[in-house]
Amino acid sequence: MIVFDNVWFSYREREVLKGVSFTANFDERLAVLGESGVGKTTILKLILGLINPDKGKIIIDGTDITQLNEEEIIPIRRKFSIVFQEGALFDSLPVKENVAFFMRELLKLPDEEIYRRVRELLRRVGVEDAEELMPEELSGGMHRRVAIARALAVGKTKMFLYDEPTAGLDPVNSERIMVLIKDLADKENIGFMIITHVIYVAWQLCNRFIFLKEGQIIFDGNKDELIKTDISAVKDFIKELFFRI
Amino acid sequence: MSMGNQIKKTLADLQDFYLLSINCILKLFKRPFYFDDIIEQMEYSGSASVFIVSLVCLFVGMALSLQLSAELSGLGLKMYTGKIVGIAVIREIGPLVTALVFIGRVGAGQTAEIGSMILGNQIDTLRVYGIDPIKKIVIPRVIASVLMLPCLTIIGDLVCLIGGYYIAVFMSNQSGSFYWSSIIEDLTFQNVFSGTIKPFIFGYLISCISCFYGLTTRGGAKGLRTSTTKAVVTSIVTVIATDFILTRILFYALGFNV
Repeated sequence: MIVFDNVWFSYREREVLKGVSFTANFDERLAVLGESGVGKTTILKLILGLINPDKGKIIIDGTDITQLNEEEIIPIRRKFSIVFQEGALFDSLPVKENVAFFMRELLKLPDEEIYRRVRELLRRVGVEDAEELMPEELSGGMHRRVAIARALAVGKTKMFLYDEPTAGLDPVNSERIMVLIKDLADKENIGFMIITHVIYVAWQLCNRFIFLKEGQIIFDGNKDELIKTDISAVKDFIKELFFRI
Repeated sequence: MSMGNQIKKTLADLQDFYLLSINCILKLFKRPFYFDDIIEQMEYSGSASVFIVSLVCLFVGMALSLQLSAELSGLGLKMYTGKIVGIAVIREIGPLVTALVFIGRVGAGQTAEIGSMILGNQIDTLRVYGIDPIKKIVIPRVIASVLMLPCLTIIGDLVCLIGGYYIAVFMSNQSGSFYWSSIIEDLTFQNVFSGTIKPFIFGYLISCISCFYGLTTRGGAKGLRTSTTKAVVTSIVTVIATDFILTRILFYALGFNV
């Protein structure tokens, strides 16, 4: 379980989060929504302990991670698989080495076994022909798929975290990534948290929605509550949805 | 930003830099060891830099020899060209010029590469999976710089002296054998030690500064430009200031007369 208890965070003098509190189970399908710069990605980085809050507690599976050092937090981070915005592939390595990277570094498997698993993972995400390509030769959609394959490579985790998984993609590729995210969650039977500003993506994939505005949560609810909300900022945000569904 | 905040930020940066430099040494002997990364970085910062270091040192050696020949011939002391070129290159100019070329080629590259990894969330990806970026990214670069800069300096010294020889012999009509014998005469322990200890320290400083600015890159392409510029400027100033301090210490320790 993830618990945010009155979390405050600022980048230098700019306050990004102002007393954010919420609770989420690992098996939930949760979307964190809001305009650019409201602190969505900050929440994701706080969950992973990549940054520390100015105030408040972040409790993961009963452990307050704000009190842990870089070594103590590693087991907490391993509970999550993360796909950063635009994939965060290592640009000096070809696709197969990107996917093999953490298997080699963490699992210390023999090369034969690593490459067998790499081929299997790339086939699973639908980019089996790209294993020799360099990241700069991949399209945006392929980038995300390889990043998902790499996230899967280290074994089963408790929750997937996706940072803007469809940002910059055309509708066809966005749809493919959405199908892949849903398919993985169904097959692996684990939940996910999606950081996005695209309401349609969140609607298609998630059953709980958290809206951020000016550093605070202004809405936290399910699909029914979202449709019926009276909060004008949320209503403005979901207008697009009514045209698409 | 107000003056007070600027001072606070500078002090915080200095503290972070100090912590990074100390961490590099403390983590050096802790597992895991990334030997492949060290070899890759040695190839990039060492053998791939030989040509540019040699080219710059050749011209510096020729220019130095030309200046000295002109001045010394007016005094009737042209035969000392080799001796003065030798001492200047081995003790001072070789290590300094090589370090400056190293800053431009390797230091700037390290900042840009690590900065781009920060902006692309690649460093965060390493941290998420429990791989320490200091051990995986910074330490191999620091080790490679500490080992390769002295090697490049020796090559640079040699090429500088060859450049000086060309001018002394073919333009200033001096004796080639006398040029080399006066240089060999100057290859004393004090001179060689004073010229070879500096690159180890310069390599460590350049790499730590470059990695520090890379790791603190923020704000997209503009931020990357700023951090690379800062890394190069800070490295140049630090190397030149350290060179003076080291020279003073070595003069005292090795018993040179001022």
